[in-house]
Amino acid sequence: MAAVELRDLHKTFGSFVALERLNLSIEDGEFLVLLGPSGCGKSTTMRLIAGLEEPSSGEILIGDRQVNDVPARDRNLAMVFQNYALYPHMTVAENIGYPLKIAGVARAERADRVRAAAATVEMEHLLTRRPGELSGGQRQRVALARAIVRTPRLFLMDEPLSNLDAKLRTVMRAELRHLQKKLDVTTIYVTHDQVEAMTLADRIVILNDAKIQQIGAPAEIYAKPANAFVAGFIGSPPMNLIEGEVAGGRFHHESGAFDLPDQPDGPAVIGVRPEDLRVVEAGGQIDGAVFSSELLGDVTLLNVRVGSALIAAKVGPDEGRAMDSTVSLSFDPARLHVFDGRNGERRG
Amino acid sequence: MKQTASTRAALILLQILLAIFVLLPFFWMFSVSLKPPTEPFAIPARLWPDDPTMANYVTAFRPEFRTYFLNSLIVSGASVAITVTLGLLAAYSFTRGQLLVLTALMSLVVLAQMFPHAAIIIPIYRMMRSVDLLNTHASLIIAYVSVTLPVAIWMLRGFLMKLPISLEEAAAIDGAGPLRVFWDIVVPLARPGVIATAVYVLIVTWQEFLFALSFTSTRNMRTLPVGLNDFIGQYGIRYGELMASSVMVSVPVIAVFFFLQRYFVAGLTAGAVKG
Repeated sequence: MAAVELRDLHKTFGSFVALERLNLSIEDGEFLVLLGPSGCGKSTTMRLIAGLEEPSSGEILIGDRQVNDVPARDRNLAMVFQNYALYPHMTVAENIGYPLKIAGVARAERADRVRAAAATVEMEHLLTRRPGELSGGQRQRVALARAIVRTPRLFLMDEPLSNLDAKLRTVMRAELRHLQKKLDVTTIYVTHDQVEAMTLADRIVILNDAKIQQIGAPAEIYAKPANAFVAGFIGSPPMNLIEGEVAGGRFHHESGAFDLPDQPDGPAVIGVRPEDLRVVEAGGQIDGAVFSSELLGDVTLLNVRVGSALIAAKVGPDEGRAMDSTVSLSFDPARLHVFDGRNGERRG
Repeated sequence: MKQTASTRAALILLQILLAIFVLLPFFWMFSVSLKPPTEPFAIPARLWPDDPTMANYVTAFRPEFRTYFLNSLIVSGASVAITVTLGLLAAYSFTRGQLLVLTALMSLVVLAQMFPHAAIIIPIYRMMRSVDLLNTHASLIIAYVSVTLPVAIWMLRGFLMKLPISLEEAAAIDGAGPLRVFWDIVVPLARPGVIATAVYVLIVTWQEFLFALSFTSTRNMRTLPVGLNDFIGQYGIRYGELMASSVMVSVPVIAVFFFLQRYFVAGLTAGAVKG
C-alpha cells in the first residue's frame, strides 16, 4: 500500500500534448477515479504511473520514492486492463499465479494463494479452464484475481467494466467497491462513465483536454461543479446549460429573460439540474414546447425545446406532457449554477 | 451469400476439376513408380500398371539414397531451426521496436526477397569458395538461411502484429523482464506462426536444387533433389526408379504438412482479449 504523488507530470506524443503539467496527490488506501471523455489524458496518466509510458517531464512518486526510471516490472503494482489481457495459452490458475511464478514463490504456496484469490472472486471451480472458454464476466474476475493474488502497492484499473453488459456491470461495480475496501489497497480507476465514477470513488479527478478540471468527492463535484465542462459531464442526464448574457440583474437568453440578481454584467452560462426544474402551465422562468416525454418508471424525463436548445427536466411519473404542448419551467434561483460565459469558470 | 443449386453444382465441379489438375502429376508419379521398366511408355498409356511391382523402390533405396536423405535432413533441419529462431527474434524487434531505423531496415528485408536465386548464385559461390566452404553442409545452410530469412521475418511479423500488446504489458506489470515476456508470452502465442514458417522453410529447402547442385560436387555431400539427377543419364532416363525416389523424397514433406496444417488455421489467441 502506498500513496502516490504526481508532480508537474507532462506527456507529449510528437506534437500532441496528452497530459499537461498534472499535479495530483493520491492518499494511501484511497479509491481515486480518473474521469473524462476519450482522449482527455486519463489513460495516459494511468500508463505513466504503471511505467508503460515514460513521462516527457515531471515526477512520479509511489510511497515517497521517485519511480520515473523504475521499469514497470519493479514498481510492484497490479493492473486490470480494459480487454482483461489474460494469457490465452495458460489456464485460469496459471494466469492468476503468473505474478507469483515470476516472483519465485514456491509451487505449493502458489497453489494456495491462487485458490484463495480465485475464491475471493468466486472462480475457484474454473481453475483448469482457459480464458477462451470463459464468459466476459468470468474473464473480468480472473483479471481481478490476478491483480489481488499478490499484495501490490497499487491497483490500476483501466475501464475494467466497459466490456460487460449493463446488468453485470452494476454487480461488478458493487463487488469492486467491496473488494477495494476489504483489501484497503490504493486504487486508481480510469473510466469515461460518470455513473461508475460517482458510485466507486472516494475522490474523482475530472480531466479534459490534458488538464485537470476538478478534484473532489463525488457529492462535492455534483453539488458544486468548478466549471461548465464538469457541470455538463456529471449527472444523468447532465446539467442543463443555457448560454446568455447578464444585464441589469436579469439573465437574457435567446428566447427570453429571467431575474438573476447579484451577478456582474457580461456573458454567462446558467446551469440547472434536471431534478431542480418544475413544470408549470405558465409563470415559470423559462417557456418552451415539449419535444419529448419519456417515462422512466419512477420519473418522467421531459425534454423541452427552448429556442434552439433542449432542456431536460425530471418530473413526476404522471406529469408527462403531449408533444408540442407549451410548458413553463420554474426553478429555485438558489439552485442555479452560474458560469462565466468566456472561460466557463464558476462565478462563485 | 445465397447460392442456387446450379451454381453450387458448378462450383463443386470446378473444384473437382482443379483437384484433378493438381493431383494428377502426383498420381502419375506414384503409378509410374510401380510399373516395370517396359511399361511407362506402353501404348495405349495405362493409368494403373497391370502388374504393380516394388522393384523400383528396392533399387532406388540404394546406399546413396540414404546418404542424400541424411544430407537433406541435416541441411533442411538446421536451416529451419536457424531461420525460425533468427526470424522470430528479428520479427519481434521489427514489430515492437519504435526506432525509425527499424522501418528502414524492414524495407531492406523486403528488398532482399526480390533477387532471383540465379542472380546471386555466382557471388555466393565465390564467397563460399573463398572461405573454403564448398562441399560442406554449412555452405547450403548459410545459403538457405539467407534466402528464406526475409520471407520468414515477413511471415512472423504478420503473426506477431496480431498479438495484442496489452498481453506483453500485463506480463511486464506482473513482474516479467523483456526476455521473460518474450519466452513466456510471445513465443507460445506465436506458435502457429512459428510452425507455419518452419513448414515454409522446410518445403523450400527440401526441394532446393540450384544451390545444392552448385555448391556440392561430391556424392557424399549431395542432397535428395540433386541425387534424383542420378537416374537421368546421358543415354536414357530410368523413369521407374526416378519416380520411386521422387515418392520417397515427397512423403516426408507431405506427412509434415498434413500433420501440422491445423496450425495454419487454428489461431491460439482466441479468448485473449475481448474481440
